[in-house]
Amino acid sequence: MSVELLQLGSTAIGVKTKEGVVLAVEKRITSPLLEPSSVEKIMEIDDHIGCAMSGLIADARTLVEHARVETQNHRFSYGEPMTVESTTQALCDLALRFGEGDEESMSRPFGVSLLIAGHDENGPSLYYTDPSGTFWQCNAKAIGSGSEGADSSLQEQFNKDLSLSEAETIAVSILKQVMEEKVTPNNVDIAKVAPAYHLYTPQEVEAVISRL
Amino acid sequence: MFLIGFLYLASQSVKKIIEINPYMLGTMAGGAADCQFWHRNLGIKCRLHELANKRRISVSGASKLLANMLYSYRGMGLSVGTMIAGWDETGPGLYYVDNEGGRLKGDRFSVGSGSPYAYGVLDSGYKFDMSVEEASELARRSIYHATFRDGASGGVASVYHVGPNGWTKLSGDDVGELHYHYYPVPPAIAEQVMEEAAAE
Repeated sequence: MSVELLQLGSTAIGVKTKEGVVLAVEKRITSPLLEPSSVEKIMEIDDHIGCAMSGLIADARTLVEHARVETQNHRFSYGEPMTVESTTQALCDLALRFGEGDEESMSRPFGVSLLIAGHDENGPSLYYTDPSGTFWQCNAKAIGSGSEGADSSLQEQFNKDLSLSEAETIAVSILKQVMEEKVTPNNVDIAKVAPAYHLYTPQEVEAVISRL
Repeated sequence: MFLIGFLYLASQSVKKIIEINPYMLGTMAGGAADCQFWHRNLGIKCRLHELANKRRISVSGASKLLANMLYSYRGMGLSVGTMIAGWDETGPGLYYVDNEGGRLKGDRFSVGSGSPYAYGVLDSGYKFDMSVEEASELARRSIYHATFRDGASGGVASVYHVGPNGWTKLSGDDVGELHYHYYPVPPAIAEQVMEEAAAE
């Protein structure tokens, strides 16, 4: 059932390039009274890791909080940033703790999938996680309601030598294809990890949209 | 605004100013391991605060976190006498925090065994609107005078400045050399004559 929930979640796209990783999400503002800046679907985990979410956003907050604590504890214990793969693994370790049995288990699985974008000693990387607790490393991936169409467009348009700005343009143009509303700086969020995490301001998002 | 902190060590080369994050520093007095560990722990808490609230923690908040943590270990033998110095939205901030859980806000503090000597120099020379150069010279001189009189103080007088863009290290002088800088030895007459003769 959680996998079906994901098909209803808002679309998120990640594209990895040699210069870094780009994440773009559809905010899905359901009412003009809703404050767009309060809808946070891309969050920072550490200086060098960010994540985009799709599905039950509240569940994602728990996972992001856990990842933040894990990365800081790693810095404290080892004096260096945690690798992106270890962070993703730490997140996925939580995913299967449901069912009956001991007190620490949850009553249901997490209903969210994540795109983890990061940069470590192995260069830029993008991981995709789902409620089963499996994760895959990807060059480009789309999750959420528009993911099927978006994934096939990504396959056509992706190549390994994309620049960061080309990746931005591709991510946002594919979002435009699968989104019902028109793309504006208020209903789309973009972030990059190149090599540090940065969430785009509305002006920077406007600059990307104007290139489409 | 400036820092003064020093302690007796078996090694003269231990870093007594701990970098909590790029805009906050902590000084070390008491037990070195306790100070180092709890400052690093404070660094984690400050970073998690930043991530959750999307803004830097205030100096007041950071020092409160440390003071509350130390209070919970009260009576268990921790030895920490530290100053947390930083810059936040309200400007510069300086707090004294110790292992009893005490926390004080102030414009100037001196911590450690030589602190009474340092306070004498510090208090007489201090003005709130002194320049960075004047303040750093006052700090250096205060430490020097403490190391001169207190047998348990010595080593290197490091001076750091914490400003709106973070901290920078201004100087690190061996106090033995500082002594001759403040109190140069006038050359003896025989030496003077020899110098003049060599110059001709």
